Amino acid sequence: MRLTTLLVVLLLGLVAASLALGDISLSWRDLLETLSGSPDATPQNAMIVFDLRLPRLLLALLVGAALATAGTIMLAVMRNPLAEPGVLGINSGAAAAVMAVIVLMPRPPVVLLPIAGFVGAVVMAAAVYLLAWRNGTSSLRIILIGIGLGALASAITTFLSAFGEIGDVQRAMIWLAGSVYEADMVKVRLLFFWLILPMAFAWISSRELDVIRFGDNSARSLGQPVDLVRGLMIVLCTLISGAAVAAAGLIGFVGLVAPHIASRLVGPSHARIFPVAALSGAILVMASDLLGRLALAPVQLPAGIVTALIGAPFFAYLLWGRQHARG
Amino acid sequence: MICGFDTNDGKRLFVLLFLCCMLVGMSMWAVTLGMMRISPFTVWNALFSFDGSREHLLVTTIRLPRVLAGLVAGSALAVSGAIMQAVTNNPLASPGLLGINAGAAFAVVLMMTFFGAGTGDVYMWFAFCGAGCAALFVYALGSFGPAGHSTTGLILAGAIVATFLTALTSAVLIFDQSTLDAVRLWTAGSLAGRTTAQVAAVAPYILTGLIAAFFLARHLVTLSLGADAARSLGQNPMVWRAVAIAIVILLAGSAVALAGPIGFVGLIVPHIARLTVGVDYRWILPFCAIGGALLVIAADTAGRMVFASQSFPVGVTIALIGAPFFLWLARNRAGEAV
Repeated sequence: MRLTTLLVVLLLGLVAASLALGDISLSWRDLLETLSGSPDATPQNAMIVFDLRLPRLLLALLVGAALATAGTIMLAVMRNPLAEPGVLGINSGAAAAVMAVIVLMPRPPVVLLPIAGFVGAVVMAAAVYLLAWRNGTSSLRIILIGIGLGALASAITTFLSAFGEIGDVQRAMIWLAGSVYEADMVKVRLLFFWLILPMAFAWISSRELDVIRFGDNSARSLGQPVDLVRGLMIVLCTLISGAAVAAAGLIGFVGLVAPHIASRLVGPSHARIFPVAALSGAILVMASDLLGRLALAPVQLPAGIVTALIGAPFFAYLLWGRQHARG
Repeated sequence: MICGFDTNDGKRLFVLLFLCCMLVGMSMWAVTLGMMRISPFTVWNALFSFDGSREHLLVTTIRLPRVLAGLVAGSALAVSGAIMQAVTNNPLASPGLLGINAGAAFAVVLMMTFFGAGTGDVYMWFAFCGAGCAALFVYALGSFGPAGHSTTGLILAGAIVATFLTALTSAVLIFDQSTLDAVRLWTAGSLAGRTTAQVAAVAPYILTGLIAAFFLARHLVTLSLGADAARSLGQNPMVWRAVAIAIVILLAGSAVALAGPIGFVGLIVPHIARLTVGVDYRWILPFCAIGGALLVIAADTAGRMVFASQSFPVGVTIALIGAPFFLWLARNRAGEAV
């Protein structure tokens, strides 16, 4: 409980910092006045806070929490420390679709990119699951089929990036690197309503995840319909991470580390892992976006890159710096 | 079970011999094929009674180095992939998990940013150093501290370092279009324009690595059972893990230096081997050595033939050829056992 409180406080601090800091930094008093809508607030400050920084911040928060939740599901279902939503081909599918749209279409409308990303992700995940189905599934078969199909999709991406027009390729790379630049309240609302049901459902089924991680045979002998649970969980994971990818591109590292960080902090019970993972994921993406905006201003680093740059050392510190024995 | 022949060994030997014949045939075909068709007879003469004619020069300076590069890179990557999967006991492991590809790519990109685009020779040394440093760092990080004695520690260390280096590389490439333009063909992996000198430079390392790997095979079987089982069989898993990783660095580092990050070979060929010949690494390793070389040569030749381009990235054709076969195997042969 103390840990959750600490994370929430950290999150709120980041929210305040993200709203106040930037090319035009607001003082704390200005920020408070703007937020409370007092008559002293200038319209310029209100525009900066409500139209520019708030949507971006909320998008980062949602995307981080979504990726962490999807990663937690995959880690439990696949029973592999390297499992993350990308194992289902979600990232490679989205990357191939977006690269194809940018390189092959003469002037693709910007609206098309998230749609292409989502469709690519969902199609790949569905193909992986269907190909792996043979009188039921097994985690190993899903992983192997995911590797194979993922390689095919990556081959398409590599081919397009090696022979496409260089400006297009770079544009695609920036989109794929994962960022929350183009946030607006419509996108935030859409993502929120899309995510709320699957994420709630994932949390409700914590107990099933506790059981399935013991292995197919143990789970079956505990009375769990393993194939059904695994199928449902994969659908949830696809819906959640596909939407996150569509909204923000490939912010890769969060889905891998947030669940590991959470299970190191609170132990193996998924009912406790989910909130902590979601909070850590949200904090990681928000902090990355803030740093990416400030570090080399006026140049902005995509959040996906900063996530790896600060997330990796932090995760290494968590694993090796602290003598945290794991049960 | 570990020693002695059983009835399946005959079948495995047959498969291995068949692959050897395929490899010889495919290599011959790859040398004869191209803009100018050269008969096998001319190839033979070029090798053993070189007369300086245009065909002979073409064979010895362009075609043959390219095929040799494919051979050594393919077998090195596949064998190192098999070793990685045994050591980490994880089906998602490949040499890339040691940070080999990410380290090599980062070193090459860094070099280009600071010194401008160079020649293939220079890339090679930077790639090898980058791969080696990244892998050593991963190993050090994965072996010390509280998580050091589990394979999970090594796996996570690899994932962390590889992600970090890849992010740094993308950060550079996003701001530097000219480097992106110069490096994007290298990152796709290619055998085009490799010289005999380049192949000769890495061949000793790869041969040493391959021979050492075959001596290691028996210990890999034990290691792949997990650290606890290995210890109770009298093996010191930490020692053999270190030896195995040193071999992987030697093999995969050289291969990446020579041909760029062709990641997929090291991931699927070991799986194909395991699905075909079983779990004994004394069979898996030779199968990987031959199969990896075969896949790379076949993919490179197919790329040259179908797309009529000398610089078609071999990484792409490897996936196009290897993945469907791998998918079929995975769907039909991968059982419930993990």
